[in-house]
Amino acid sequence: MVGQGIISQGLQLPLPILITLLGGMATPFIGLISDKMKLKLTDFWMVLVSALSLYGVYTLYDQVSKATNHVLLIYSWGQAPPLSGCFEIDMLGVYMAFSIGLLSLLVSVYSISYMEHESRVTEFNTLVIFMVAGMYGIVMSGDLFTLFVFWELMGLASYVLVSFLKRNWGPIEAGFKYLVMSATAGAFLLLSMALIYGMTGSLNLAVLASTMRGVPMTPWTILIFATLIVGFGVKSAIVPLHTWLPDAHPEAPSPISALLSGIVIETGLYALTRVLYIAFEPGFFKVPIATLAIVTMTVGNLLALRQDDLKRMLAYSSIGQVGYMLIGISTGLTYGLLGTFLHIFNHALMKGMAFLSVGSIVHETGTRDINKLRGVGRMMPWTTLSIFVAFMGLGGVPGTSGFISKFILFNASLGAGVSILALAGVLNSTLSMAYYLRVLVALLSKKTEETIEAKEAPILMVGVVMVMAVLIIVLGFYPSPIVGIASDASKSLIEGINNYIGAVLY
Amino acid sequence: MYPLEMFMVTTALLFLFGLVALVMKRDLVRLLIGIEILFNAANLLFVALSTQTPGMIDPFPQSIVMMALVLDGTVIAVGLALALNVFKHYKTFDIKKLRKLKW
Repeated sequence: MVGQGIISQGLQLPLPILITLLGGMATPFIGLISDKMKLKLTDFWMVLVSALSLYGVYTLYDQVSKATNHVLLIYSWGQAPPLSGCFEIDMLGVYMAFSIGLLSLLVSVYSISYMEHESRVTEFNTLVIFMVAGMYGIVMSGDLFTLFVFWELMGLASYVLVSFLKRNWGPIEAGFKYLVMSATAGAFLLLSMALIYGMTGSLNLAVLASTMRGVPMTPWTILIFATLIVGFGVKSAIVPLHTWLPDAHPEAPSPISALLSGIVIETGLYALTRVLYIAFEPGFFKVPIATLAIVTMTVGNLLALRQDDLKRMLAYSSIGQVGYMLIGISTGLTYGLLGTFLHIFNHALMKGMAFLSVGSIVHETGTRDINKLRGVGRMMPWTTLSIFVAFMGLGGVPGTSGFISKFILFNASLGAGVSILALAGVLNSTLSMAYYLRVLVALLSKKTEETIEAKEAPILMVGVVMVMAVLIIVLGFYPSPIVGIASDASKSLIEGINNYIGAVLY
Repeated sequence: MYPLEMFMVTTALLFLFGLVALVMKRDLVRLLIGIEILFNAANLLFVALSTQTPGMIDPFPQSIVMMALVLDGTVIAVGLALALNVFKHYKTFDIKKLRKLKW
């Protein structure tokens, strides 16, 4: 018995998706009850759902590591793949689901305090749960169309969440821009799926891997590659397609910024990696992805230098980090992919923590302008400490987990013989320290008459960021547990590809 | 087996029209219509390709088109809701007036 049957043997779903989907559907009713009883039940319901889905990921890990060849296939009765949609879960899917579950649990605890004075908390919680459900679906789906359905679920929830604070003009405008760009990308994705169907007669990823890999380069394969890059690249903010991100991420409420920057763009990157490695040989896409990597990190870091808005600066820094992750994809080696997926996990923690700590500052002072925040850090010592840890991690200082993943990434690009990638990466890391340190200098400078009065954020918000800070430092000094899981995950794309095919076709 | 060339050309033209609408038009609702055209171009290609299996019509892409119609309908619905909110703040549907954020 894999997964969890709703109507015995009928619809089968992996446990985390089942929990989040049912939990999301139940949230409005719980909201009705809690409004009647004047209680805040939905917040705790969201924490409960996130925790249960994290437990679901753990049981899934247990099942996958016991399954033959470490691949788990879940489908409804009588509808065996490759003819119908299915979920195909390998170590990579479990690893990504773990990153998603961990960050969403932390964010849901944080947002209890953050959204305290907002109205429409029930709608907020429902949308967050559905966005997490969409991400779980993307990392577990075994064919392109299931991926597309969950892709749109994640997209729909995130459009509304970006423009959630609709009393201001900023979120509405950013949300509309995000929607137009993402929906266009969705159409490109559908077109690439149609072309892939025309070439192979199926959308199942295992069938694609066995039929489309290694075909000679024709105009059609190049068209499919280009439409895939546009389709997935907008959500994952690869540089010519990044323009929505610096508007959408700062304007969203801070917990949502943390989720969007920490894990949503990485889910896009995961989908891109999965489909590229399934459908093409690494030699096909090495050069374009390496070019995109250099452009993405350089543009992201250079534009971050001249931002005065704290959250906007972090959003540009996310673009730079996506550039580092692309390095690992372009190498085509297991070691490079290990760096990419390790950096995805670390970036989820570090950028999530940076956005949450900045969220605490915004919550207490009401401004995001770096110049107005001079001296505020002295009144919020714990938040400033967590910002310090997050920025050191993002800059790749030894002793934080960010150093480990960046070291692996640059090492892998040297191993693949593309030393220019390592050079660009190291230069960009140095560049990024310039704007991280600028924020710390501003926060820690002497108080003046103009300094905004602030007090330390509520205990729940400080507690969450402190937990993340401890995780980052512990994983910086003792990285072997997470590196072990990540290396299992990265193997499943190159060495384990035949197991992935075999689970469906043989 | 229908000849595929006409459908391919139509898909390419529809995609082109959709992209031109996204780039040239200034009205928010027209932008959403452009997105709808893009989605329908991809759907048309799916339906046309479903007739290409010898001896049968593959039901798989047609079921996909049904789902895709629902999905892009929901996206457009959210887009229209956002456009209404834009109108509340700016009193216009003109995209050129939405320049308060840096692009």
